[in-house]
Amino acid sequence: MPKVTIDGIQYEFNPGETIIEVASRNGVEIPHYCWHPRLSVSGNCRMCLVEVEKMPKLVIACATQAMDGMVVHTKSEKAVKGREHVMEFLLINHPLDCPICDEAGECALQDYAYRYGTGYSRFIEEKNHKPKRVKLGPYVMFDAERCISCSRCIRFSKEIAKADQLTFVQRGDRVTIETFPGKEFDNPYSLNVVDICPVGALTNIDFRFKARVWEMSATKSICPGCARGCNIDIWVRNNEILRLTPRFNEKVNDYWMCDHGRINCFKFVNADDRIDGPFVKKESQLVLVNWDEAVSRAVSELKRFKGNEFAVIASPFATLEDNYALLKFSKQILKTNNIFFIPHIKPGDQDDILIREDKTPNSTGLRLLGIDVSKNDLSLETLDEKINSKSIKCLIVVEDDPIAVKPELKNAIQNLDLLIVFATNKNKTTQYADILFPAATYAEKNGVFVNFQGFVQRIRPAVATIDVDRSLDGLAQSRWDKFGTEFDKWARGRKVNARSDWKIISQIANALGGKFDYDTSEDVFIEITQNVKELANLDYETIGELGYQIKSSKLIEEKILV
Amino acid sequence: MAVKKRKKDLNFFERIYIVEILKGMMLTLKHLFKPKFTRQYPEEKYVQPPSYRGRPVLVMDNGKERCVACGLCSRVCPALAIQVQAAETEDEKERYPELFEINMLRCIFCGFCEEVCPEEAIVMSKDYELVFTKYEDAIFGKDKLLVPVEQLKDRLEFIRAHR
Amino acid sequence: MVILIPLTKIAIAIGVLLFVVTYLVYFERKISAWIQDRVGPNRVGPYGLLQSPADVLKLFFKEDIVPLAATKFVHSLAPVISLTIAMSTYAVIPFGPDINLFGQKVKLIVADVDVGILFILAFASIGVYGITLSGWASNNKYSLLGGLRSSAQMISYELSMGISIVGVLIVSESLRIYDIINHQQGWMWNAFIQPIGFITFVVAAFAETNRLPFDLPEAEPELVGGYHTEYSSLKFAMFFLAEYANMIIASLLIVALYLGGWHLPFVETASLSEGWLPLISVGIYLAKVCFLLFVFIWVRWSIPRFRYDQLMNLGWKVMLPLSLVNLAWVSLLVYFFKI
Repeated sequence: MPKVTIDGIQYEFNPGETIIEVASRNGVEIPHYCWHPRLSVSGNCRMCLVEVEKMPKLVIACATQAMDGMVVHTKSEKAVKGREHVMEFLLINHPLDCPICDEAGECALQDYAYRYGTGYSRFIEEKNHKPKRVKLGPYVMFDAERCISCSRCIRFSKEIAKADQLTFVQRGDRVTIETFPGKEFDNPYSLNVVDICPVGALTNIDFRFKARVWEMSATKSICPGCARGCNIDIWVRNNEILRLTPRFNEKVNDYWMCDHGRINCFKFVNADDRIDGPFVKKESQLVLVNWDEAVSRAVSELKRFKGNEFAVIASPFATLEDNYALLKFSKQILKTNNIFFIPHIKPGDQDDILIREDKTPNSTGLRLLGIDVSKNDLSLETLDEKINSKSIKCLIVVEDDPIAVKPELKNAIQNLDLLIVFATNKNKTTQYADILFPAATYAEKNGVFVNFQGFVQRIRPAVATIDVDRSLDGLAQSRWDKFGTEFDKWARGRKVNARSDWKIISQIANALGGKFDYDTSEDVFIEITQNVKELANLDYETIGELGYQIKSSKLIEEKILV
Repeated sequence: MAVKKRKKDLNFFERIYIVEILKGMMLTLKHLFKPKFTRQYPEEKYVQPPSYRGRPVLVMDNGKERCVACGLCSRVCPALAIQVQAAETEDEKERYPELFEINMLRCIFCGFCEEVCPEEAIVMSKDYELVFTKYEDAIFGKDKLLVPVEQLKDRLEFIRAHR
Repeated sequence: MVILIPLTKIAIAIGVLLFVVTYLVYFERKISAWIQDRVGPNRVGPYGLLQSPADVLKLFFKEDIVPLAATKFVHSLAPVISLTIAMSTYAVIPFGPDINLFGQKVKLIVADVDVGILFILAFASIGVYGITLSGWASNNKYSLLGGLRSSAQMISYELSMGISIVGVLIVSESLRIYDIINHQQGWMWNAFIQPIGFITFVVAAFAETNRLPFDLPEAEPELVGGYHTEYSSLKFAMFFLAEYANMIIASLLIVALYLGGWHLPFVETASLSEGWLPLISVGIYLAKVCFLLFVFIWVRWSIPRFRYDQLMNLGWKVMLPLSLVNLAWVSLLVYFFKI
């Protein structure tokens, strides 16, 4: 294999690789703005200047292919000086409005100016003035003054999002970025340009001025928006989710995530319609009660029915652990096989990039456990007639909303003798519940989702519920979380009184004589791995941050995996 | 062990101690009749130099705060006394503090917030008489923090001179 | 009538004592402030004159805290001992020569005991019980240390004090304080006749009253208040009162034994009417006492506290030999010059 020497160390490379690719693969830092591993090489920022022996001038590492025997210096005096000059040019017309800019704190220009700049400006003339606060599309705000014209956003929309919506206009110091006249920058991946923009020129309107990045904690999690299960970071301040950003996972979502996931998949966690504490129906009113009362009520009510009088709706929104506990509960305690889940397919809403038709994060996981959309000719379609014929008297719904999916079900549900609902937010079904348990959202619990490719991926709690202490239970902590006391407003964010479904189910099951001996969700998961052979020998640590892929030709044949 | 030595050997009169005691007592006697330094505080106020660091306040320019809610004061504050929530405004500065609260029970008057402020928007005033009877009273919102720039000229000049 | 006069005398003595102690505290605070270039209490009443009564009231209304592990009875008894002893001592100290009141000859003393000096020495020895017991009963290591220091200090200095007084007794040939005072007419003050004895007595008196530089039983920096750490409210007030009462006794004794009592040479030679002389004498006596009280305060705010080993060294290696030297000197004087 050919070898290239970078800063005195030899690295092997595949022919065709550029210097910056070899360097970044081997952990050698070469500063860059316009180069991105997934985008074409543009070579216009000139920040990646390196010195190559026997070449007369400095070359840009992003556009120079490595060659056998090449000797590259990234830290030689000439290279450092060259980068200093580039930095000075870039800063000439960049406004010093970091205090206002949302990018501050995660800004490549700030970092590189600090690391590779001279630390002062020789420019005394008036800076360039360009349009500010331009709304490019529904989610993206553009500030032309801050733009360093790296063209990453233009190349992203063309090459990755396959929607050629942005372009440079004008020349020289008047150059700016625009959409075509009358068009909006509205492709379903538009917000990724905010992540790849090395400066604060493109900002997220949804997150605009909400918080400084250093005030938040980041938790590695999975987006629950569709069967793709994009890896994300959940950014939390004062126990409130403020934004989601994609987390790099080459095989699942690469560097990207869709706007739907980013904008719509966290607001329900903060919402006011969260179910806060268990409710029990008394005189046709849902009344807030404590956990013990709700559980003992559920226990005494469940004893009135037996066997196939029960129907259980599992949830593709809940974790594998939650559904496993539910499955075990219905088989061992309720002694019924009447368990199925409601599919949430949006036909046609799918592309080759990330978005999937299946709008639930864990339907593959449910199928792995053996739960399907219909069981013993019981499914969402046949549910109402079975209720009306009184062959089903008790329905348990976990984290789903059957009435929203099938509005005709409304009358049938009122004919039930008992309806137990586990829900995160108020929905169309919750109002008919006899017993309503508050379920923790994906951002409040540990667990596992299985995506359509068979990736088993971990979610971690980012928001504390009422029984959780951020520091004792190992949640990510910002500086405010670490040092705040109960007297500080900024550390007293709302904590919802909710629990993971498996916890609630275990409590009820144990009261009914079952042996649900779990302390943590990992205990449940270990039991799953003993029963599901595709998951054998897994635990939370081996799943890790990037997930574990199930490989099984049998599952592909059964169309459980793609 | 090293031999301890006095700086100076004592002579006889010093050694019998009584003379030295009398000397000391004459000194205190002299002070008995000297003018006193006490300031009669609530009636006689302290006149602070511009370098004095009283409670931090927000500078108000033309009826609006200069602050752009960058949150640097909040970040640098070693006592975590400052909470800032930014919001968008139609003004040129784009961003303003929707909420700016200083917990005066946490504040240690170090002046880091003033030092770090890129807009000269938060400065240390000369106000030091801070008394609260309730916890809630100690959290100063924008209503108590905003002070017209005219009253803070002294301090702003001082900051500029010592940058 | 026979009972009424002593009772009136006792009532007046205690009343005056309480009043004087209150204002002694006020002056202590004022003088300390002046020495430190401050102004001292000036907020309560004109010139802060009501500060001390206000403090007394405050002490009355404070919560009386007794530590859980304290020996309750002794804890309460100790301040009573201290105060009673201090007050009883006043009984045998005269405040002036006999005066004529409503045609009656009144002695300005509650009990004219023949062995007054002995009485005083005896009571001073009992006084230490108050402090030692309080330190022990508090069940607190600092208090106990304070109490122990106090007894050790008393024993060390009582010795030289006693021997110094013997010098005075040799000269006056009586244990009655009246006789001792009357023996010092003119310039024949014991302070001039036996200066060494005077100095040792004054130093011992400071030590006996636990005043700086001898306040090791309290020693705030090391013992957080010493024997009265665990005392509050009225009990603390009693210790406070006893300390200042002891200070007044010490001043009275120093004046009576060494500074000629109510005698001042040129006053006695000036021809004054029979009626005025006793009053003026009382005035002179009290003026001398006041000056000594001032010296007590003055010394407190000038001289730092001894270290414990220095205290013991001074007591046993300096004070005791010095008082013996004084005894020899007085004996020689009396033997050769018959004064």
